[in-house]
Amino acid sequence: MKAVMIIAVILCCLFVLYATFPKSRKQFLKNLLSQAKDLIPRYFT
Amino acid sequence: MSDYDVIVIGAGIGGLCAGALLAHQGRKVLVLEQAPRVGGCCSTYEWNGYKIDIGASIIEFPQVINWAFERMGTTFQKEVDLIAVDPTFTARLHDGTEITFPIDLDKTKEEIRKLAPEDVRGWEKYSQEMDGFLKAALDGFFVTPARSLWDVCKLFAKTPTLLKYGSLFFGSYEGVLRKYLKNEKLLEALSFHSFYCGLPPALLPGHFSMIPYAEHGGIYYARGGMIGIPLGLQKCGERKGMEVRLNATVEKVIVENRTARAVKLSDGTVISAKIIVSNINSKKLYTEMIDQSNISRLARAGYKSYRYSMATPMIYLCLDYAPPLKDHHTLMTVPMQKMNDYWFDHYEKGEFPAEQFGILSWTTRSDPSLAPPGHHIIAVTLAPGPYRLKGTTWDNEKETIMQNVIRFLESRYLPGLRDHIVHADFSTPVDFEKRLLSPEGAIYALRQDLTNAMMFRPSAKSKQIRGLYLVGASTHPGGGVPTVTASGMIAADLIGKYES
Repeated sequence: MKAVMIIAVILCCLFVLYATFPKSRKQFLKNLLSQAKDLIPRYFT
Repeated sequence: MSDYDVIVIGAGIGGLCAGALLAHQGRKVLVLEQAPRVGGCCSTYEWNGYKIDIGASIIEFPQVINWAFERMGTTFQKEVDLIAVDPTFTARLHDGTEITFPIDLDKTKEEIRKLAPEDVRGWEKYSQEMDGFLKAALDGFFVTPARSLWDVCKLFAKTPTLLKYGSLFFGSYEGVLRKYLKNEKLLEALSFHSFYCGLPPALLPGHFSMIPYAEHGGIYYARGGMIGIPLGLQKCGERKGMEVRLNATVEKVIVENRTARAVKLSDGTVISAKIIVSNINSKKLYTEMIDQSNISRLARAGYKSYRYSMATPMIYLCLDYAPPLKDHHTLMTVPMQKMNDYWFDHYEKGEFPAEQFGILSWTTRSDPSLAPPGHHIIAVTLAPGPYRLKGTTWDNEKETIMQNVIRFLESRYLPGLRDHIVHADFSTPVDFEKRLLSPEGAIYALRQDLTNAMMFRPSAKSKQIRGLYLVGASTHPGGGVPTVTASGMIAADLIGKYES
């Protein structure tokens, strides 16, 4: 339960931090995150 | 017994560089090129006495290209007649303001002082930071393979000063520039450089923000047209027996037991070799030209996941007057935010508005011999063009779009232009694809964001097929004339190491 609380607090903090980012930084992060799932297969190319 | 030691598919800069270096290693090399000329995106064609550059219009980082020539016992300057271009560029901003960036950093500082006195200190700090980063990057990054996490660790261990600049890799081009500069006009002048690497300022990784600074190390044009650079590499290779065959399209790479054995040309000819070096887009290579049974499922997913880089529509203008420009490069800019918005609101939605930004490359400013006396050439590099136009096709819209853009150029930058056009040609993303066999006209092959870089970009030594090596923009370190030259050096080194 404690672990869940800690994770929830961290996620909340990250969300608040993200909300304060300017539009261009959000676009930068969004672009990277959208490709994160491809990193493992790309490593084998 | 193979016909050749090495077959290089594609006579782009990377292919010719690798081929020439391998010929100097004493190998029997054949370079196959589908086009009627060498050079790929760094090439020149002739029209009625005008020599027109297809893509690249200057080179930066001449020292990197020189390394390749030095390995062959000569120098870049000896093999290619280079013309120094100074200033690096003049930016004509959206409101008509002009700012020029001379090669000399002190003179540039004075220009900045006139436009944005509050940013002089910021420019100094930016220059200092980029100078340090560039030295570290040139030391380690450019000609070191980055095929695995281990390679990348070795790279940083070899050049520990790179660690100091680690934060550059995790921010954006825009973020880095905004850290040092506040004046929106100055930022606008430096924004378009992000498209030199294929992405808008908001998406391009921050380490590329060294490009505007790097230009102050010297930029050059090859006398007679940019094809002079690939021809210089070809000449060096041919001295050691390298053979270049033009108009020879490779259809398939023949692989047996996960080992590259030969290539099959479009006319059915099969030519065998111990090693195949591919200078074609690696996504196309692995997904269309190699039997899929030779590639693991995970790697197949990886190749499919790559996104092609942007395409750059270009208009080539042959003129019977000297255009009212000042320098070899004039950047037509819009505010940084608008460049980002263009990417998301137009480019990604398949739209190509006539009100453009980009570069006017006045090549005859540097080399008047490119055109008949009194005549001139401008190559207009436009904003990124979507490969698929919304609701129509490039072939349908080509003429209309070209005329609209010419009208726009006339109204904003080149008064009287239409009365002086002898010849105009428009190379759309589809034309680039047809002429260069570059899928979707992608001039940097694959996108150059962090998730497509180093160990996440297709490896110079194939991880799937023995005896297969990659060069060009779709492998490390990426797109651009010096970088693809570096890819040729990396491949030649790896072949020297693993294929003795």
